[in-house]
Amino acid sequence: MKNIENRKYVIALIFILIPLIFLVRLFYMQVVDDKWKERAAQISENKVITYPARGIVYDRNEDKLISNEVYYDIRVIPKQMDEDIDSFGLAKLLDISIEEYTAKMNKARDYSYRKSSEIVRQIPPDEFADIGQELYKYPGFFEVERTLRIYPRPIAAHVLGYMSEVDSSDIKRDKYYKSGDLIGKSGIEKSYEKYLRGEKGVKYFLQDAIGIETDTYEDGKYDTIAEQGKSVTLTIDGDLQAYGERLMQNKRGSVVVIEPSSGEILTMISSPTYDPNLLVGRRLGKNYSVLAQDTLIPLQNRSANSTYPPGSTFKLLMALIALQEGVITDQASFPCTKSLVGCHNHPTARGVSDGVKMSCNPYFYYLTKKIIQQGKHKSHFVDAAEGLDIWADYLRSFGIGIDMKTDFPALRHGFVPNTDFYDNEFPSKSNPYGKYGWAYSTIYSNSIGQGEVLVSPLEMANIACIMANRGHYYYPHFIKEIEDGQIPDIYTTKQKTKVEPKHFVPVIDGMWRVVHEGGGTARRARVDSLDICGKTGTAENFKMYDGQRKQLVDHSIFIAFAPRDNPKIAVSVYLENSGFGGTWAAPLASLLIEKYLTGEVKDTVKENRILDANLMPIKIVKKKK
Amino acid sequence: MRGNEDKIWADVDWALVGLYFLLVGLGISNVYSSVYNPDKPNLFDLSTEHGKQIMWVGIALFLGIIIMIIDGNLLRKLSYWVYGVLMLLLVAVLFTDPINGAKSWFGIGSFGVQPSELAKVGVCLALSAHLADAPAVKNRLNVSFSITYLINLWSQNWKTVAILGIPSILVLLQPDAGTFIIFTSFILVLYREGHAGNVLLFLLVAVIIAIITLVVADSSFMLPFLKIKMGGKFGIVLALLFFGLIFYLLIRNFVLKRNRPPLYRAMVGSIVISILFVNFVEWGYSSFLDDHQKVRIELLLGKIEDPDGKGYNINRAKASIGSGGFAGKGYQQATLANASQKHVPMQSTDFIFCTWSEERGFLGSGFLVILYCVIFIKIVSIAERQRSSYTRIFAYCVAGVFFYHFMINVGMGLGLAPVIGIPLPLFSYGGSSVLTFSLLLFILIKLDSERKIVLQ
Repeated sequence: MKNIENRKYVIALIFILIPLIFLVRLFYMQVVDDKWKERAAQISENKVITYPARGIVYDRNEDKLISNEVYYDIRVIPKQMDEDIDSFGLAKLLDISIEEYTAKMNKARDYSYRKSSEIVRQIPPDEFADIGQELYKYPGFFEVERTLRIYPRPIAAHVLGYMSEVDSSDIKRDKYYKSGDLIGKSGIEKSYEKYLRGEKGVKYFLQDAIGIETDTYEDGKYDTIAEQGKSVTLTIDGDLQAYGERLMQNKRGSVVVIEPSSGEILTMISSPTYDPNLLVGRRLGKNYSVLAQDTLIPLQNRSANSTYPPGSTFKLLMALIALQEGVITDQASFPCTKSLVGCHNHPTARGVSDGVKMSCNPYFYYLTKKIIQQGKHKSHFVDAAEGLDIWADYLRSFGIGIDMKTDFPALRHGFVPNTDFYDNEFPSKSNPYGKYGWAYSTIYSNSIGQGEVLVSPLEMANIACIMANRGHYYYPHFIKEIEDGQIPDIYTTKQKTKVEPKHFVPVIDGMWRVVHEGGGTARRARVDSLDICGKTGTAENFKMYDGQRKQLVDHSIFIAFAPRDNPKIAVSVYLENSGFGGTWAAPLASLLIEKYLTGEVKDTVKENRILDANLMPIKIVKKKK
Repeated sequence: MRGNEDKIWADVDWALVGLYFLLVGLGISNVYSSVYNPDKPNLFDLSTEHGKQIMWVGIALFLGIIIMIIDGNLLRKLSYWVYGVLMLLLVAVLFTDPINGAKSWFGIGSFGVQPSELAKVGVCLALSAHLADAPAVKNRLNVSFSITYLINLWSQNWKTVAILGIPSILVLLQPDAGTFIIFTSFILVLYREGHAGNVLLFLLVAVIIAIITLVVADSSFMLPFLKIKMGGKFGIVLALLFFGLIFYLLIRNFVLKRNRPPLYRAMVGSIVISILFVNFVEWGYSSFLDDHQKVRIELLLGKIEDPDGKGYNINRAKASIGSGGFAGKGYQQATLANASQKHVPMQSTDFIFCTWSEERGFLGSGFLVILYCVIFIKIVSIAERQRSSYTRIFAYCVAGVFFYHFMINVGMGLGLAPVIGIPLPLFSYGGSSVLTFSLLLFILIKLDSERKIVLQ
């Protein structure tokens, strides 16, 4: 039948048509469409990031403050494990609970039997020494090295800061970071993160279906090598910092030492402190919560983030402002009346130098009144409002209460009350005195560094610098050198105060006499031949206990610079609840100055007195009045 | 008149023999590349797949020589016996322990034999013998929907149905859906022999309706112009009724009155069967197929997306083929379909086309597709030069089986056919399949070589 014979052509047509369709499809997939090549790359290629070693941090003497050390992660490949593994023994060896061990193992098995999972991360080298020699008993478990921070000397924890894993905002802000990366969270680690972190390397490879590397990609043509972070040299003097921290043992408070001629911070201590090595690796979590719960707040950097009443050290500024404003001469004399502000017994102060030396409260009460109530207006309310803003302007030019440009993250500045504050926020925001509702009689406590004014220890050290420099300062900073980088100009730019150098002469004379003359408040700070100039402070302070305002033992304060001519060092010491400034803060400051200027401390009696002192306890004083 | 030793080889189609060795040779080199293990670089290492493949080719050649020596007429006489023995093996294999969920294997040491592969040889032989003996289709029954027509149809064809039906049911019991689908290739043979023209047409329509059903069945849409929401299945039924109405109007207006009743019957019958079929497809799909099979079909139909391109074998296979580019990555340079990476699973068997296409590019893959096409046409031309209807039918059987394997295996890699695990003839690693395809070709070559001396 012809009809049926023709069917062979239909069949032949089908036999040709289908291969033809395949040819067209193959041409499209293999030659025209690139989608499949991309998809193939996605499936078969992968990359690993190699992490750079972080930059080293040196002190000004080129001693290492922060270095890197190999830490160890313990990982497991479940497939290679013994079936009768001693889980309890291993958990104990790794110093984790059996529950944590079981949870981690389950997670690892869920993830992959052939790929490794992390069991414990970032074991410090000292702990690993014990683990490493036992680990061979547990097949499938192995260690992976990674470099983490180590602090060769356990000092300057607050300055150097610590590192921890990035959070989601870090990842969002900067594409450099991936989940699990470490980032500087505070201090220098945070300030100079961009220099210290280095460049990540990347290695492309071919992977199998499970994701295990089988070969390099294109013989590593596109691979890059991780580049170590830049090293950073700080202005910190490690020896002085260490000595200061020794002196500050068993004391609460802070020490800031600055080189006045450059603004370089030589030492910054906040006490109580901690060993920065505690906040590295797997110890971080546990230790951080212990430190965070400590009632003495060791994590708080008191030098940069706490503000206090400046006490009598503030009188230096009152004298300078009064002289510059021309409301007094350097011979001005005020009676020690003790009616409004208390005072100790001393001869009448004849001149600014005397006033500073004896730290006479009434003297500075009257002196400051002349600044605030200049008598330009009939109404002494209006007069005080104008005078206060003049006064506040001067103080801000001393770096108080403003954002000084420094390279320290999260700096807290002090507070200078002005007209706006008393008009709208004093004594409370809900019920203020209002415009022209107050005069000097309301705010006079500020004249002796009490009242509303607050200053941070760093700002106080800066005031010491201004005294040393006779009227100017440099923004205090930590950076001395960056590998392949430049120090911003801002740190070498002179910041001028509104007080002319000539007015510093009588005030500095007073500061010298504070230390060197009989009747001075800081005789304990005297070191022969060093010409230390200083000013004590003793700040009343209060704290609420069960709703009652209790007065605590005064803060002991001392700011100083030395030598008198060509000063090399400026210091502020602030000891919480330790009593009279001349008793503790002044000698402590003098020890630091002597150590820095001469390299050793001769007066071991003085030194031992400070080292042995325990000023930790917080004591409530009975009200005097 | 019987040929002596010389005459056995005289009329052998050496071109087909050459094509066979070319395909087998390329196949072995490709298997070698796809499973290459640097620890076992020896091509003939019997613990490797390429080594085993060579061994199986050797066995096949040995059997081929035996086939060449024995009388072609004997083969024809043994057809039903071979078929019977293989059916018994298909029954026996159901009592073995399942491997990968299917009872398909007789294991002998590290070697295994799949009787369902060899059964293809038996079915080809038996079907050829049966159809060659059956009366030539001269008085074809007129298509009608009468009972007598159906009875006649059955009485004429029940043996054919049995020869194909028994192994079909037996492989489904394993279960081995791939081999079952291969058995539908014999419809091409039936078509060539004048039996199944309507069946082929019917199957085409059925496949189209089934695909439409699967695509729209579980979706719903708004009826145009009316704010009525309805299910996809209802929509298909409505569309079928709508077509029925058009046909009714066409018949009524353009067909002579006396010719109308059988057409009406055919029309009503078609609509009823179609509606039943739609329901059957939906029911069968939801109750018989495993989830992974549904996923494969739905991926193919584009009903579900695989956006990352990593989740399913088929995407990896396509990525492998597509990444070959024009000239390929080079021999043993595949990065997806190779033994060390294993992104494409079963790269030496079901997805062997991936390794080849990735390493040889469009040049290689196009060449292979054309090579198969040449073999199909060669077999068809061999079939058509036979005076013996047995040999002709057998040749079409061989062509159909080869073609089906090729169409599904390559179509699968290209994303044009669902993922069904069947080998690429003489190219995929697999002893049973190499043996089966070799025997099919050797028997064909033997039968063809006797085309001048026998009239059967």
